[in-house]
Amino acid sequence: MSLVHSPVLMFLVSIIAGFIGAMSGMGGGIVLIPALTLVGIPIKHAIAISIVSVIATSSGAASAYVRDGVTNLKIGMFLEMFTIVGAIVGAAVTIASGDAFLFIAFGLVLLFSWGTLFVRKHSDDHYDRPSDRITEWLEHHGSYHDYAAGKTITYRGRRAWLGGPCMFGAGFIAGLLGIGAGALKVLILDLAMGLPPKVSTTTSNLIIGVTALAGTSVYIAAGYVDPGLAAPVILGVVPGALIGTRLLRRLSNLAIRNFFLVVLFLLGIEMLLRGFGLFGG
Amino acid sequence: MNASSPPRPQNLHAPTDKEEVDERRMELMVSYLLLAGVVLSIASLLLGLVLDWVHHGTLRLVYLIKGVNYFQFFVHDIAAFAGPHVWASRTFVNLGIALLMFTPFFRVVASVVFFALEERNIKYTFFTFFVAAVLSYSLFLR
Repeated sequence: MSLVHSPVLMFLVSIIAGFIGAMSGMGGGIVLIPALTLVGIPIKHAIAISIVSVIATSSGAASAYVRDGVTNLKIGMFLEMFTIVGAIVGAAVTIASGDAFLFIAFGLVLLFSWGTLFVRKHSDDHYDRPSDRITEWLEHHGSYHDYAAGKTITYRGRRAWLGGPCMFGAGFIAGLLGIGAGALKVLILDLAMGLPPKVSTTTSNLIIGVTALAGTSVYIAAGYVDPGLAAPVILGVVPGALIGTRLLRRLSNLAIRNFFLVVLFLLGIEMLLRGFGLFGG
Repeated sequence: MNASSPPRPQNLHAPTDKEEVDERRMELMVSYLLLAGVVLSIASLLLGLVLDWVHHGTLRLVYLIKGVNYFQFFVHDIAAFAGPHVWASRTFVNLGIALLMFTPFFRVVASVVFFALEERNIKYTFFTFFVAAVLSYSLFLR
């Protein structure tokens, strides 16, 4: 197993992965791991490097979202209790697993997350409905100013009792595969907990950083984190994601985004095929 | 429709009561902590790679962190700054990774303190304390 790779190559691969991750809305890790395995990094090392870089991309983005006052800190901090335990368990399972299982799991999660991009979330003008007692007790409510709509939106969360345990699952996937698993988290916040889309995406982002840290700690303890490889990856993914996010906001033509969605779909298939030993190594 | 739209308010949440003021203060604290952590970490990683390149004329920094827990790793790295290898590229790359991991951890610990002392919210003090405790446990793994 040769881990000697050019940091310049790692940097270039990562900047592209961060860019595609942001442009497609899927997150850096989900592109990074297939890309790293394609340049010859063993999948467990790729997962470990990716989850370290997820802390950076998540924290950087969360900083801006939290300052804008859209992220709901209480909902995030409540759900973190579940995701971090899930991430620790997930990372431990990865360390004990064979590579084929990880390729297949990765392919399936990638394709599932890909599918969720097309499920347009429920759009609801009545986010301020009375909630259940547990959710009320947990103080899962808030408001934010929506500049596009030009109004302040007040909302109340729902079904925290369902959202919490589901988040254990999202954390498990994040720890298992070294990704943010943002698509799953947003799905839970949106469908189970009934939050407005902007609150879902930004709160999911906040949770991702702490969840990735829990996973990272297990990978570090197991000796899978190579700082010499992680450094150029982090230095690549962060600006890649920044450029991608900025460009996405200005882009009126969705053709480029659709192109990246096709690329992601193919990456998912490729990971599955490798898991079944039908493609590559 | 109002023809002349009002200018964007500077403060997104015009604070009306204690809870909102607390919330806004917490948001700003979390936001700046995260930003500072990521910026310092990236600067350190970049400096480490530049030093590696200066020392060796190439970038080939490959090693694994093994057999230490995070806190030992962090302390060991800080200690390296007092040693003879201050300008070793590894010192800065390690510091970058350590700072990056410390960023969300510190955010959680700061939240515990904030909920306990500022907002005096027992529920959320307990929740964030639980998160901080599990993270501390996982960071002690080796």
